[in-house]
Amino acid sequence: MRPVTAGRRPCVVGVGETRYARWGGIPETSEYQLALSAIVGAVADAGLSMDDVDGLASFAEDRNEATFAAADLGLAELRYATLSWLPGGGGACAAVANAAMAVETGAAEVVVVYRSLCQGQFHRFGQGPGGRPPAGPARTPGLRKARTLLEAHVGFTMPFGMFSPPIAYAMVVQRHMHRFGTTEHQMGQVAVTTRAHAARNPRAVMGTRPMTMDDYLASRFVSEPFRLFDCCLETDGACAVVVTTSERALDLARTPIEIVGHAQGTPRGFGHGQYSNVSMPDDDYTSAGARTVADRLWASAGLGPADIDVAEIYDHFTGLVLLSLEDFGFCGRGEGGPLAASGALAWPDGALPTNTHGGSLSEAYIHGLNHVVEGVRQLRGESTCQVDGAETVLVTSAAGVPTSALVLGRP
Amino acid sequence: MTERWFPDEMPDPAVNAETIGWWQEAAAHRLVVQRCGDCRRTRHPPGPICPACRSTVAQWAEVPGTGVVFTYTVVRQAFIGCLADRIPYVVVAVELDGAGGARMVSNLVDIDPADVSIGMPVAVVWEDMGPELAIPRFRPAPTAETAEAGTKGAQR
Repeated sequence: MRPVTAGRRPCVVGVGETRYARWGGIPETSEYQLALSAIVGAVADAGLSMDDVDGLASFAEDRNEATFAAADLGLAELRYATLSWLPGGGGACAAVANAAMAVETGAAEVVVVYRSLCQGQFHRFGQGPGGRPPAGPARTPGLRKARTLLEAHVGFTMPFGMFSPPIAYAMVVQRHMHRFGTTEHQMGQVAVTTRAHAARNPRAVMGTRPMTMDDYLASRFVSEPFRLFDCCLETDGACAVVVTTSERALDLARTPIEIVGHAQGTPRGFGHGQYSNVSMPDDDYTSAGARTVADRLWASAGLGPADIDVAEIYDHFTGLVLLSLEDFGFCGRGEGGPLAASGALAWPDGALPTNTHGGSLSEAYIHGLNHVVEGVRQLRGESTCQVDGAETVLVTSAAGVPTSALVLGRP
Repeated sequence: MTERWFPDEMPDPAVNAETIGWWQEAAAHRLVVQRCGDCRRTRHPPGPICPACRSTVAQWAEVPGTGVVFTYTVVRQAFIGCLADRIPYVVVAVELDGAGGARMVSNLVDIDPADVSIGMPVAVVWEDMGPELAIPRFRPAPTAETAEAGTKGAQR
């Protein structure tokens, strides 16, 4: 990202996390209170006061509104509050980018990006509207009124039993297998490698449970070709990151981590992604939907895939990690599987250590904002799978929906 | 009573101003896609405006109800309780004949999940869920061989 003014280059200066627990594992604290605790923790980590915070940023479908948070946190003044439209986990990096643009232009000085997700307190994320019919007396099936555009779109998927993201993205990977010969073992390599990284991470929900390829292959099918271990966790927890300018960062205790580049969006006709659109061109359908984002990201950062030391790739499903690797240019189209099978993603010896915290598959499912936190940790030299001398990290947000991505770097 | 594959408790389609017409056509067992009234491009799902020429004029164009499997999944987890005794079931994306490349999500029924493959020809079959709701599902399209067997069966 070319700076608007050099002194206002956007940096991440603080990160905060609550504990992460399995679905329903944090019944005593509300999802909203966890969000506020993560924000307070991130601001303290930055060495800032809550009085310094003048902006809040999040992304789609956030129940924890910034305006309430500003009041409850006692912010002196809220000068900037945005919610990225990118759905699901697609907007985590976009929210950081929005915060970066706010501090770069001077719209705000200190913006905190946050995500709290306690599926145990609400419902399975991505379980579509109408996915759980009410129990009760027999009724006559018919039409019902959609309350949102998304509801009307999934009106063309729910009646066919496509209730949940694993079903939709299993179809994407099935097509990818058909076109390119991607295999279950290649997907399994993502699951096994990510679990091994989690084993070193005390925050990781699955950290104490090792996984072999045999364990992976023995796990039950959810929606073929996806097994249980191809699917991310469902967890409770929250995290936050603090964004300010390079100038302000000079006064702070922690090494600032520069937001070197960012990009967000979709290609033409991608819509809400393969979850509700199966009519898009085949090359988009069998992608993570991030090819145009990748092109703009690399241009924004002035870097390319060969310059990246560590990758934190959104991993709601193993197969989609392979597609993201292709979209971001770490290999050619259809070569994501062989790349994973080569051991490239494994810390410490792989060419591109990936999801060094254990990802959503094995650390926690905080809609990928925890991937940003891990990127910062790598560049601070504090990861539990630390890549020696890491200077650049790619972070991606979601796949198969409108996406976003960041390049983080040491200044 | 027509054939039934899925229970009454399946989620009802949620509709809005742009999509209700599609479901009304379906209730009459007409499989349609939306066709732009100006540039004639087809699209599915239906929407309020043509993404190519921005015309807000559109018609329903009936398609033959045949196509090929573009991709599929065999669902082996019952995400809602009423499907506990219906798994596994097959969700497909069907590339519809005569629809300008438009595809739709549906189910493939009357087939062993192990026999499903990408590219196989399929044909629509209607499941009447209620007086105002019929769901287009698909079954393997009859080949010359199976059509002959069907004729013999009818003669017996």
